[in-house]
Amino acid sequence: MSRDAMIDEWYPVGLLSQLLPEGRETLLMGETIRVSLGADGRAKVATTAGHPLPVTERYGHVWSSLGQPARPLFDIPEAEHPGRRLVDVGVVRVRCSPLRAVENFLDIAHFPFVHTDILGAEPHTEVESYKVEIREEADEVWATQVKFYQPQAAKSASGGITTEYMYRVPAPTCSVLYKTCPPRPGEWDVITLFVQPLTEELCDVWPWMALYDDDTPMTDLIHFQQMIFLQDRSILENQIPRRLPLDPGMEIPTRADLTSVAYRRWLKRHGFTYGAQLVAQ
Amino acid sequence: MMPLESALVWTPVALSADLPAASVIPARLADAALAVWRAQDGTVSAVADRCPHRGMRLSHGFVRGEALSCIYHGWRYGKSGRCLAIPAHPALTPPETIRVATYRAAERDGIVWVTASQEAGAVPAHDGFLGLRSVTVAASPARLAASLGGTLDGSVIDGTIGGVTARLLLASSGEEGVLLVHLLIASGAADAGKIAASRALEGLRRQAETATITGEAA
Repeated sequence: MSRDAMIDEWYPVGLLSQLLPEGRETLLMGETIRVSLGADGRAKVATTAGHPLPVTERYGHVWSSLGQPARPLFDIPEAEHPGRRLVDVGVVRVRCSPLRAVENFLDIAHFPFVHTDILGAEPHTEVESYKVEIREEADEVWATQVKFYQPQAAKSASGGITTEYMYRVPAPTCSVLYKTCPPRPGEWDVITLFVQPLTEELCDVWPWMALYDDDTPMTDLIHFQQMIFLQDRSILENQIPRRLPLDPGMEIPTRADLTSVAYRRWLKRHGFTYGAQLVAQ
Repeated sequence: MMPLESALVWTPVALSADLPAASVIPARLADAALAVWRAQDGTVSAVADRCPHRGMRLSHGFVRGEALSCIYHGWRYGKSGRCLAIPAHPALTPPETIRVATYRAAERDGIVWVTASQEAGAVPAHDGFLGLRSVTVAASPARLAASLGGTLDGSVIDGTIGGVTARLLLASSGEEGVLLVHLLIASGAADAGKIAASRALEGLRRQAETATITGEAA
């Protein structure tokens, strides 16, 4: 276990819309922190000893770090296009490694079995070849040309369609999904998974969305995404070991798991091992 | 206490009646977590409770026909433990090396037994008895035997419960200080006797657990 390499990264620690002047205590990588609304109307994050921590306000969330982030929080340019509905989904606490939560988000092969009749359905289980790369310049994992048949791809979808996806991992506990947008062909809906590592085996997951959907009530959009994530939680809390194995041999990937393989390789290369299990352990 | 802690002896893990056709349940063999499943044809199998693909518990899976599937990605395993199919790649025949560890499983007297040993002999016989109900009890074997007023021999307690001749088989629940207890009663018992024994078992559990908490001498 090591906090070293991951300590200088940005992590979500709360919703901007729910900040309170008296603040709220939460955990970041085992450390108790307080997230509050300052007198100037800005978010404040501090250790319990009162030591201030870095703050970024973006994508509906407050972001902070126990270390000194070398670069600003990653960009999601599409999320800032006008006309999108920005959806604060809320928080789901999961007893699993923050890295396992991200890896599950990158996986499509589980759709027919875990999100049955919503994001997938038998007999449409095949995962066609897609492209995976580590984009060296941006230092991000990308999977593109991911296609999957979905009975109800989004709240705004009526009937089954083949959905196209792109996945992006811009930070060790964050992923951005670009997904075919049923009401607006040619555009991509943005669905993110921001994971707050509470400990190596416990996390708060903050999904967030930027959608082209003017019709569906906000409550329904939130319920849809929460339902999906609660289905994922039943998996995430029952994987053994709880931490993500980074060395080969412990688990058996196939061609459908190339995104997860690249994610694990990228984590290992950077020494992002908070929530990981290494052979030496 | 050897019998409760060794994976190398036949261990009672469930009642046959609690494992219907085409179903899977979690079980414990000493320190090992198992998934015990019954195929459509009635055969009982036991495997390690972990899919080698992404570590998901197979006891959360589902049984179709003669195969156990993982709930996460649908990987399908046969009775030999070998992976038969990977739904993400329907045209692929999984290599023989993809398999889940298997254990010997057998049924006798309405009880499902498992062992990690290839050498373990015949499944223990409890002739004249039939499995009625399984419960967990947070008490030691000695305390449980004392509460029943029965005799403890290894992992078996003989006595009378609810006026019926009874035998308790003890196994590890996987939780420290908690026993898995299978109640067996005379196989000819009438329904009224079964109901009385089942209710009395709940009373016995309360008594043994209360005695454990208050520290009464066993």
